[in-house]
Amino acid sequence: MRIQWLLAVFVLLGVAAAAQQATGLVNTNLIRTVSLANLPYVMEQIGVVVQNDHSSKVFKTYTLPAVDALPLSSQQAFERKSGVELNIVDGKAVLKKPLQPGEKLSINVERVLYTGAMPVGRVGQTEDQVWEWPAQMVSSVYPIRKQKTVVSVPGEIKQHVNATVEGRKATFVAPGVIRFKANGVQLMATYRREYFVSHWANDLNILDHYDMRSLAPQPRASFDKVSQLMAKFMKTRDNFVKTLLVKVPREAREMYVVDEIGNVSTSLVASAREEFKVMQLRPRYPMLGGWNYTWWHGYSVPLTGYLRTEGTKYRLRVPFMGSIAGCAESQDQLTVAMAEARNTLVSQYELRVVLPEGAHDVSVRAAPTGDIRLVPLKYYLDSTGRTVVVVEARNVAPGMADQDVLVEYEYPGWALWQKPMVVGGVVFVLFMLASLVNRLHLGLATREAGIKS
Amino acid sequence: MANKVLGLTAVDQTSLLRIAILGLISIVAIGSRLYSVIRFESVIHEFDPWFNYRTTRYLVNNGFDKFWNWFDETAWYPLGRVVGGTVYPGIMVTSATIYNALHMLNIPVDVRNVCVFLAPVFSAFTAIATYKLGKEVKNATAGLLAAAFIGVAPGYISRSVAGSYDNEGIAIFLLVFTFFLWLRSVRLGSAMYGALTAVFYFYMVSAWGGYVFIINLIPLHVFALLVMGRYSNRLYVAYSTFYVIGTLASMQIPFVGFQPTFTSEHMAALGTFGLLQLVAFANFVRTLLPDQHFQILLRGAVFSLFVVGVGGLVLLTMTGVIAPWTGRFYSLWDTGYAKIHIPIIASVSEHQPTAWPNFFFDLNMLIWLLPAGIYFSFRELTDNHVFLILYSIFAAYFAGVMVRLILTLTPIVCVMAGISMANIFETFLNVRNLPAVETDASTDTTGSGAAAISVSVAEAKEKKKTVDTQSTSSGLSAHTEAGSGSKKSGKKAKGSNKTASKASGTTGSKDAANEDASTLDAPLTAVTTSAAAAVRKPASKNQPPNPAMPAFSPKRLYALFPKIVVMANFLYFLCMFQWHCSWVTSSAYSSPSVVLASRSPDGSTHIIDDFREAYYWLRKNTKPDAKVLSWWDYGYQLAGMADRVTLVDNNTWNNTHIATVGKILASDENTAYELARRHDVDYVLVVFGGMIGYSGDDINKFLWMIRIAQGVYPDDVKESDFFNSQGQYAIGESASKTMLNSLMHKLCYYRFNEVMGPQAFDRVRKQKLPSSVTLDNFEEAYTTENWMVRIYKVKDLDNLGRSHRAVSVLEGPKTSRTMF
Repeated sequence: MRIQWLLAVFVLLGVAAAAQQATGLVNTNLIRTVSLANLPYVMEQIGVVVQNDHSSKVFKTYTLPAVDALPLSSQQAFERKSGVELNIVDGKAVLKKPLQPGEKLSINVERVLYTGAMPVGRVGQTEDQVWEWPAQMVSSVYPIRKQKTVVSVPGEIKQHVNATVEGRKATFVAPGVIRFKANGVQLMATYRREYFVSHWANDLNILDHYDMRSLAPQPRASFDKVSQLMAKFMKTRDNFVKTLLVKVPREAREMYVVDEIGNVSTSLVASAREEFKVMQLRPRYPMLGGWNYTWWHGYSVPLTGYLRTEGTKYRLRVPFMGSIAGCAESQDQLTVAMAEARNTLVSQYELRVVLPEGAHDVSVRAAPTGDIRLVPLKYYLDSTGRTVVVVEARNVAPGMADQDVLVEYEYPGWALWQKPMVVGGVVFVLFMLASLVNRLHLGLATREAGIKS
Repeated sequence: MANKVLGLTAVDQTSLLRIAILGLISIVAIGSRLYSVIRFESVIHEFDPWFNYRTTRYLVNNGFDKFWNWFDETAWYPLGRVVGGTVYPGIMVTSATIYNALHMLNIPVDVRNVCVFLAPVFSAFTAIATYKLGKEVKNATAGLLAAAFIGVAPGYISRSVAGSYDNEGIAIFLLVFTFFLWLRSVRLGSAMYGALTAVFYFYMVSAWGGYVFIINLIPLHVFALLVMGRYSNRLYVAYSTFYVIGTLASMQIPFVGFQPTFTSEHMAALGTFGLLQLVAFANFVRTLLPDQHFQILLRGAVFSLFVVGVGGLVLLTMTGVIAPWTGRFYSLWDTGYAKIHIPIIASVSEHQPTAWPNFFFDLNMLIWLLPAGIYFSFRELTDNHVFLILYSIFAAYFAGVMVRLILTLTPIVCVMAGISMANIFETFLNVRNLPAVETDASTDTTGSGAAAISVSVAEAKEKKKTVDTQSTSSGLSAHTEAGSGSKKSGKKAKGSNKTASKASGTTGSKDAANEDASTLDAPLTAVTTSAAAAVRKPASKNQPPNPAMPAFSPKRLYALFPKIVVMANFLYFLCMFQWHCSWVTSSAYSSPSVVLASRSPDGSTHIIDDFREAYYWLRKNTKPDAKVLSWWDYGYQLAGMADRVTLVDNNTWNNTHIATVGKILASDENTAYELARRHDVDYVLVVFGGMIGYSGDDINKFLWMIRIAQGVYPDDVKESDFFNSQGQYAIGESASKTMLNSLMHKLCYYRFNEVMGPQAFDRVRKQKLPSSVTLDNFEEAYTTENWMVRIYKVKDLDNLGRSHRAVSVLEGPKTSRTMF
């Protein structure tokens, strides 16, 4: 008797599940276009036609197709026809208009993925780098009737499985693999940027701290000084990252480059264009695949370009982060375009804005990925301490370098005088104390007698 | 002096002036030590400072307790090092205290900057301490002069430039200040000053091994005073207080421990302490006994005590209760000792005997003012002066034995020079007691005085006549000095030239300088002379100002003439001294040696940063517990900059371990590979200068490695095997087989000829390179830009158990094209 009941429950459950699967949204056609031209970033665009197959149900959201198990740095969804951007909540796009039964909708999903390609084996110092990209099929919670993946790669395709290859493009309709040549620089960094705001000096000091790692394939044999020297003299290519280019504002001054054991004295600043300069940082050693380098650099810019004021209210607008580009070319072959290349992943990012002492009522508007905190700090001769705005982000998308962060704070006029007054006061009190102690006479003999003895 | 300036009395004016002068001296002392920061950067220099810096960081990050108990397993692998117990913690604790104090005031400086600027700041303190010492033994003038000298003397600057973060940086200040306190406590017989002496002695013990100098010199002083029959209760109080407190305090430093009770270096102090008690007792007994009885008692006591004392000492030393002198101390008596018995000490260049030009280089004119100072000390010969004389003689001897001990000589030379100069100033700047006719001449109007002086120089030149008519109260010496000075200048007034004088400035030649000063610079310096006279007047004995009188009377000018000439000379010397000091500091003592600079033909400097390139590469690209084998010179730098485990370092306490490293580098590849693997070595680092001509490289140090290795492994390593058939130390084709097969040679020259072309030669040795260098068991891991540092990885064992040689034969030679 009991068994019969149980069976009945199972059957009912099964029917319910089947009903849910069979009816609902269907991806009728899905085309994924992947660009590996900007490795280590993988740019992915998925165009999908969605149809509501359910007889009565109306759909307000659409669960986006799953990402390969790769870190995602940004994801956007658009309605193709109108070009309207859709809000994404928990991996679901909120449709502008509910999808009625039988209706079709074209959606474009644009994504930037991290480190999608893997190096193939080890590589010699002067050999070409070969990378592999495993093409998996897109999976979705909805049935996919038809799908296709088109991959474009930066270099010659060396090997492929399950793909139709045409020049530098490969098309997959089933899971497969391609191997291709890609000699571009690929770097990954943990990055921290600090802004120091000084109203006194009208100065905005910027410090960029990087932990950098080259993502290129590991070197095959041991380090080979002779071939490195030869490549340098013959101006042939090798796999060393030799220079790091940093765009800095035109008015930047007092630049420096330091690492854990002192100045890195091999750097230059070039005035590239009207609007910016380029710092050419040369690491202490050129970087092969898997090698790390840690350093920090900084400069000052006039604060006026970044600060707006309304009475005692100040508005600081600064770039959310700086950009850096690795370069395999030696110093005499550099071009401005290389400084604008985006070949450095920022896997962890921290932004710190150190406000002047006395700033209060701080409010921050930063990019949506950020996690914002306010932290107290006591800095040079501070008496009451100051506020630091900390914004943290992971797997930062390449476009974030162009975004700004806005910090608003109250800063009364007298706060400017707080530090000089406190320091001056302390010195004066100390002077008075010293003077008092000096005049105090504790001995038994008179002062004159004391001097004579 | 009744004149009040700005409402200050004369006494206040002088003290204000003194503070101002001391302040300026401090600024100059600090400023002249900053060349290295300006030329290079705020970086820790050389070798030992890197260890001090690393331990300071540890102290700052982990607190004092952890520091005290720190066992550093990354040094002397696999032995490790008990850092807390084998270190003089004074300098680290000082920096950490400064660092913490600054952070308490919310001044967030980096600990590196505290370390870099510690020595310059303490040099300012040294100047102040020297002033106190000079004032104690003579007067404020001598003190100020001594302070000015020590502020810029290259002998001290060599160890205290910014970045030279070593024990000496603070120890010289402590040395001088301890001596000052000691002299004051002897003079006053004050227990408080005796105790303060002990406190600073303790600080000194905690900071530098050179404290032994204090603990031998002070007893020597006491002993000398006793022998001279100058026993006094003041001496008794001072020494007893100092010795008891100082010794007990010094035993608190773990590195010193119970050494004051059983090592020979400390026995003199103990013996003197006992002797002093006996003398005090004898003095006490004398007050109770009749003279005759006392004489008998004394003779008997002295004889028996001598026998017992010497016998006991010999016995204790023989039985080993009292440790014999350490090797470094033997080499103080016999300069050849170290070379024969302890090559590791002899291999350090700063332990070599001093070449005589070094004295002039480091002390310039002070070196000939030293005997003058000793002479003046003998003329006064108080207890303090006995000390100064003893200090001068002993420090001068030690400085002659070991180059680095010029450092301990410098303070006393400065004080003695200060005394000499002060005496000269007193005599020759005293213009009050001029001939009776003109007694009431004026010195108040500086301007007119200067004019008169220059006129007088002109007149004197015409007459070429010695004028020495003054009758002063300053006595005989002043007369002779004045006489000789003016005679010389009178004779050589003509026919001088400027180049000669410039040369003289550096070599310290007196005559040439005289010529120049008397003819060319006299009018100019004379102005300064009289200005200085006016300035210094308040400092000298307070006398009522003379009423204004005509300054142009000829007789008065004759009287002034020798003074002017002498002072002009000495001012010239002083200027040259300052010039020399700045030049030496900037050219010789301001190179960090971690960073090198070369000058290109167009005059621009090119920074050679290979060391840090290699260390940073190791720091960032090897696993954190990688063991790096290198010669001990680079141990501290490796630990500090590369943050990796080292086998040997600059704390050369274990000769066997160093010899093992020497043996690895001197053996053939297979033996070396086996030894290296047995010691868990991951990387081998060698320094090679053949590419850019850096002569301080490992190939040039290689003979020392061989000698040290031979000392422990005489069967395996023989120095003679490394010379070729002509007995030369060659590296090319003609080198001996042992040399060509040695690991050091292979690691340095591996593939070097491939980039140097067919006429390849080594730029240091100026020899042709060997045609081919093979390497099987080690592989190149990194070579810096100028090939100065080469790092090799010790290969893992072959998977199939073959030798690496067999593998490379099987796989064929490495594909490589030569550049030319």
